[in-house]
Amino acid sequence: MTSTACFIIVSRNDIPIYEAEVGSAAKREDAAQLHQFVLHAALDIVQDLAWTTSAMFLKAIDRFNDLVVSVYVTAGHTRFMLLHDSRNEDGIKSFFQEVHELYIKILLNPLYLPGSRITSSHFDTKVRALARKYL
Amino acid sequence: MVDPANTSLGKMLLEEITPVVMVLCTPLVEESCLKNGLSFVQMLSPFCDFTNIDVPVRTASDQPYRLHKFKFRLFYASDIRQPNLEVAKERLKQVITKAGEDDFPEIYSDLPQVNDLLSRHESEILPTWFQFFNKELVRTLSFSDHEAFDHPVACLLVVSSRDEEPINRFIDLFNTNKLPSFLSDGAMDPKVLKHYLLVHDNQDGDSEKATKILTEMRSTFGPNDCQLLCINFSQDGQTRHKDTPWSTFRSDALATEHLGRFLKLDDLNEIKNLMQELSSKHIIPYMEQKIRLLNQQVSSTRKGFRNQFKNLWWRKGKEDALDTTNGPVYTFSSIESQIRVLGDYAFMLRDYELAVSSYRLISTDYKLDKAWKRYAGVQEMIGLTYFMLDQSRKEAEYCMENAFNTYLKLGSAVQQNATRCGLWWIEMLKTRNQIKEAATVYFRICGEDLLHSAVMLEQASFCYLLSKPPMLHKYGFHLVLSGDHYKKCDQIKHAIRTYRNAVSVYRGTTWNLIKDRVHFHIGQWYASLGMYDVAVTHMLEILASSHQSKTSQELFLRDFLHIVQKTGKTFEVLKLQLPVINISSLKVIFEDHRTYASPAAASIKEGVWRSLEEDMIPSLFAKSNWLDVQSKLIPRKYKESNICVAGEAIIVDIEFKNPLQIPISILNVSLICELSANPEELNSEANSSNVEPQNDEYKTSTSTGDINSSLVLSEVDFSLEGGETILVQLTVTPRVEGILTIVGVKWKLSSSVVGLHNFESNSVNKRIAKGRRKPKHSPSADLKFIVIKSLPRLQGFIPSLPEKTYAGDLRHLVLELNNQSKFPVKNLKMKISNPRFLNAGNQSYLNVEFSACLEKKLNVEQSVGHANAKKMLQNVFHFPEDISVQEETSLSWPLWFHAAVPGNISLYITVYYEMENVSSIMKFRTLRMHYNLQVLPSLDVSFELSPCPSRLEEFLLRMDVVNKTSSECFQIHQLSSVGQQWDVSLLQPVDSILPSQSLFAGQVLSCFFMLKYHRKSSTSEDSNPLFLQSDVRLGPPGNSEALFDVCSSPLADFHDYERLYQGMSCQGNVDFVFITQLWRGNIDSGAPHRPLLFSHHVCHCSLSSFSPISWFVDGPRTIQHNFSASPCGVNLKMTINNSSDAASSVHVKTFDPPSSNSQSIDATASQSGLPLENQVGWFSIPAVNDTKVITTDALAKRITKSVSLESAPQFIWTGSSSTKLKLQPRATAEVPLQICVFAPGIYDLSNYALNWNLAPIEESQGEANKSSGECQGYPYYLTVVQST
Repeated sequence: MTSTACFIIVSRNDIPIYEAEVGSAAKREDAAQLHQFVLHAALDIVQDLAWTTSAMFLKAIDRFNDLVVSVYVTAGHTRFMLLHDSRNEDGIKSFFQEVHELYIKILLNPLYLPGSRITSSHFDTKVRALARKYL
Repeated sequence: MVDPANTSLGKMLLEEITPVVMVLCTPLVEESCLKNGLSFVQMLSPFCDFTNIDVPVRTASDQPYRLHKFKFRLFYASDIRQPNLEVAKERLKQVITKAGEDDFPEIYSDLPQVNDLLSRHESEILPTWFQFFNKELVRTLSFSDHEAFDHPVACLLVVSSRDEEPINRFIDLFNTNKLPSFLSDGAMDPKVLKHYLLVHDNQDGDSEKATKILTEMRSTFGPNDCQLLCINFSQDGQTRHKDTPWSTFRSDALATEHLGRFLKLDDLNEIKNLMQELSSKHIIPYMEQKIRLLNQQVSSTRKGFRNQFKNLWWRKGKEDALDTTNGPVYTFSSIESQIRVLGDYAFMLRDYELAVSSYRLISTDYKLDKAWKRYAGVQEMIGLTYFMLDQSRKEAEYCMENAFNTYLKLGSAVQQNATRCGLWWIEMLKTRNQIKEAATVYFRICGEDLLHSAVMLEQASFCYLLSKPPMLHKYGFHLVLSGDHYKKCDQIKHAIRTYRNAVSVYRGTTWNLIKDRVHFHIGQWYASLGMYDVAVTHMLEILASSHQSKTSQELFLRDFLHIVQKTGKTFEVLKLQLPVINISSLKVIFEDHRTYASPAAASIKEGVWRSLEEDMIPSLFAKSNWLDVQSKLIPRKYKESNICVAGEAIIVDIEFKNPLQIPISILNVSLICELSANPEELNSEANSSNVEPQNDEYKTSTSTGDINSSLVLSEVDFSLEGGETILVQLTVTPRVEGILTIVGVKWKLSSSVVGLHNFESNSVNKRIAKGRRKPKHSPSADLKFIVIKSLPRLQGFIPSLPEKTYAGDLRHLVLELNNQSKFPVKNLKMKISNPRFLNAGNQSYLNVEFSACLEKKLNVEQSVGHANAKKMLQNVFHFPEDISVQEETSLSWPLWFHAAVPGNISLYITVYYEMENVSSIMKFRTLRMHYNLQVLPSLDVSFELSPCPSRLEEFLLRMDVVNKTSSECFQIHQLSSVGQQWDVSLLQPVDSILPSQSLFAGQVLSCFFMLKYHRKSSTSEDSNPLFLQSDVRLGPPGNSEALFDVCSSPLADFHDYERLYQGMSCQGNVDFVFITQLWRGNIDSGAPHRPLLFSHHVCHCSLSSFSPISWFVDGPRTIQHNFSASPCGVNLKMTINNSSDAASSVHVKTFDPPSSNSQSIDATASQSGLPLENQVGWFSIPAVNDTKVITTDALAKRITKSVSLESAPQFIWTGSSSTKLKLQPRATAEVPLQICVFAPGIYDLSNYALNWNLAPIEESQGEANKSSGECQGYPYYLTVVQST
């Protein structure tokens, strides 16, 4: 498990619809802010890269000091962004793929409006479990 | 691609990497120059840049080329050394601080818009001081020892004509110890080109002496190297230079005016000529020569395979010895230094090919020597040279990156070099439109120096903004980073500027943490600058950040309040987010002609009241909007607005929610209202003019809430826990007539923050909870009221109405009506929604003692019952005409309450009244009262009737009582039958069933009574059949308590309603009233609201489900007969009674017993469940007991057990087999019957049937009533014995 990891799902309108600090490091207030800043800034890079490849997993696309941003773009242009400090690409890829499945299940819920915030606690638990497993 | 020399980097290089000329001059020279406000170097410097010379140059190759532009730099010898880093930093800091002051945005200027930024040109966005800063930063690095281009190419020795022994002075100048360190420590060849210049000040007299010295000089130093410069031709010092060439040295305009005031145009021309000559005739040729020389040396030692091999070998040998970071020390005579000088000279003379080849040659050497700094420097130059050559871009960038990385690896000592290298690299990238990459380089430049990093980050952010497409996210992020760095260096103004730009990116973002941080910091910083107003606006943005942790919320709130406190004034904030107002909860309750006794009443749907009041209020008003009638009086404009009465409060309910986790306290919550002048006046005026008075009024009413004001506003204080939602009730009471508009709500968060919320502003979603207006009404009209002059208003309440009681509870209540105003009201009417539960009583009941008044009195007038019955049928209760509620008096009126059924009951009561002094607009008002009560189940009483088969008009009554309460104990008191003339009597004393006469919780009681038709009384009291009763006292035998009169009000009233609700009223049914009391032991004297009396009404215990025709057969039971003589004939008599109110025709049919085999058919028929209408034959013999309950014929029929028919003796009906007769209502007839028996035995004479038909009556009968039917005969057993 990485010491720092911040996972965010960003809707196609650049609105974060799910956020989770999944790192094992103690949570700090300003760290969460920094993570948001870095991830937010990486959106530009995603925008550039997403159309250059047909793969959903864009690998590590941006970095800030020792923090790396890995991104996975779904077909609906929802972006899964993971900020991490470890280099475990395979694990991250698996993590993204499994989260994608969870996300699709959320989308299939007729009561879920695509692009709105994901509030399901079940989803949250599952994502955290996946993070423990793969990251 | 443009010419590299014309790009910004090219220009920069051509400016910065130029030959340096060292100046050594005597103090007298300086003195002469200072008359013009300039030093000697400053005076000459503007003329060292030549743009239109034409000098042929031939360097290493034999191909000559021409230089058209040339520049050299003049420095005093004392300045030719590495600048002090601290001083340089201080200077840079000043540059930044100054820029911060200049660039600081206006406080009230709008935040920049991103789109606006994007549409503008690059040069407009980019702060101009960046360029200047970068140049200064590069200059801090001048004269480093590992680079040769800052080494002086020539030395200019200057002596004044006033100097004594000028020749000696010249020699002394060069020999002093003031020479730069390169020359002394051997990094540079001390043999430089020397040029001797004699300066003559014309103010000191003519130049004769100077010419003399010049000749002397020429003879001493050689004729070509000596020159004379005459300055200060102007005598008066009034020369003005329009565009002074020295303006770059002095920034202030006043000083610029006086610069060079003694220098005439001639002077300038002379200087220009001098410098041009110096460059073209001395410096350039000298450099050419040197290049050629160096090239020769380098070629001989390093070019060619043999030399390279040798060099490699030699270097390998000394590899281990040197391991310092700077590598070996190279003196000017070493071949490495020479190659470097060669490269630099070639670069300066723009022979880039030669420069590149030299640099490449040397770079491998330095690399092998691990002279990393020099290596990086050379790499840097290779990159630049490639750039100037405009070829192999990849290579150029690679070299720059290599150099940059190498510098970075060397650590903080060469940070400056890395910065310079980075800046050049960035310029290179920018030239090639690789702006994004440039930004990353900016980011990498950031080192330990926070201030420089801040500037670099800001420049990086602009790169992101300018890249195509713009990368706004990165732009914002780098601005924030830059701002943080600025903040750490106490450059708050810069920090604010960057953050302000960042806000434009993050505006409206849903990335909450980002938004909060930006606004919080910008707010804090503004506050630290003392600009509290702006600070507050930013802090407001983050007040309601519910996603933040508790501590940050506390921090935000505390800082906000702190800042607000510092401003020293009260802030009025429109749409303050703390607390959040749930606008959809807005509910306005006001009273026009409809008044409410309690808030609960006001929350009832208007439709409920309207239907209740329908037939009570005048039809004129009820049918159409009553305002229509008044259209003359009310301006059309306000026709649709609501009406309220002066002096009566309008209540506004609104929800406040605390979005934070920390508790907040809210003070002085009140409404904002406008009360404007009379509608009539307004109507006559133009629209524009009536705005003014409204505004004035508005101010007075909001600022003051005093008693003299035309408005009284309530103020509420409350505190909200974290996440709590509270519903606040606010009131406004207009005191004068006019038009009242509720504008919004305001509150105080702390002592100095006032939050305002305008209802109108987002009224689109607003919903008036009352829903009493048509949907087409605009919401603004809902908040607008016409205030009319004060009217009487009744207040009403029922003091002792219980909230919770048991079913059956009967009690006496009093309705209190109060009139607070001076004017009496009259013509009162009342309507109660649920008369089954609540009833208006007679005024005479007002003060009677309860339960005693219900007891049977001997001389009760029957007429009371009549009156009540009539009154009851009308829905509206009219108070007597003479009753009016006077000024400040109250009216009490008795009410009867009866909890009829269990459940949650809503009681709606409307009192209508008219005003005595008729107001112009309102003539009547209604008072609406609403009570909710919970009725718990108490006793479950059911009755079951079954006819006695053997007797006419007698029924057996079974009463089942279940106590369904959990704790109460009831004492049974009485059972009364109401209805037709029925007598109830006990079959057995109650003592035997229920010795205690008390029903405990959960107890079940079954009790049997005999019910007998009481024909006699029917004739005497025919006119009033309903109010006859027959009572059975169920109390203890010795009880002397009086029985209750169920035939008089209120029990009779309630009984009527029960009849109405429990089913269709029809004749032939019997109703029962079962009265109990709470067990005395239970009655707690402390609880006054205990129910005392319970009456349970069970109506329509149907007799009509039985056939209206009843009969019995009379005859002998046992006969002795001698069958040997003759068959036995028996005479029987059937008495038939018609109990219905209709005439009926009865048809008695007899039929003979069936043959034995027919029984099986019947049996199968019964098994298959078919209706057995025609079943005949033997029935099981029931125990012949009068009290046996045989409920219905159908039930009796079902008892069809097969009886052995083996020895069934035969008998036949004789006489008429079918008799028809007509029976008058309630008449009895007798029919003779006869049978003939052939053998002794026991016979069941039930094989006959009665068909009856009721003649239809005019009055509509209930469906339950059969109009015809067929009855099987009852079993009648006849025993015939053979007589001896």
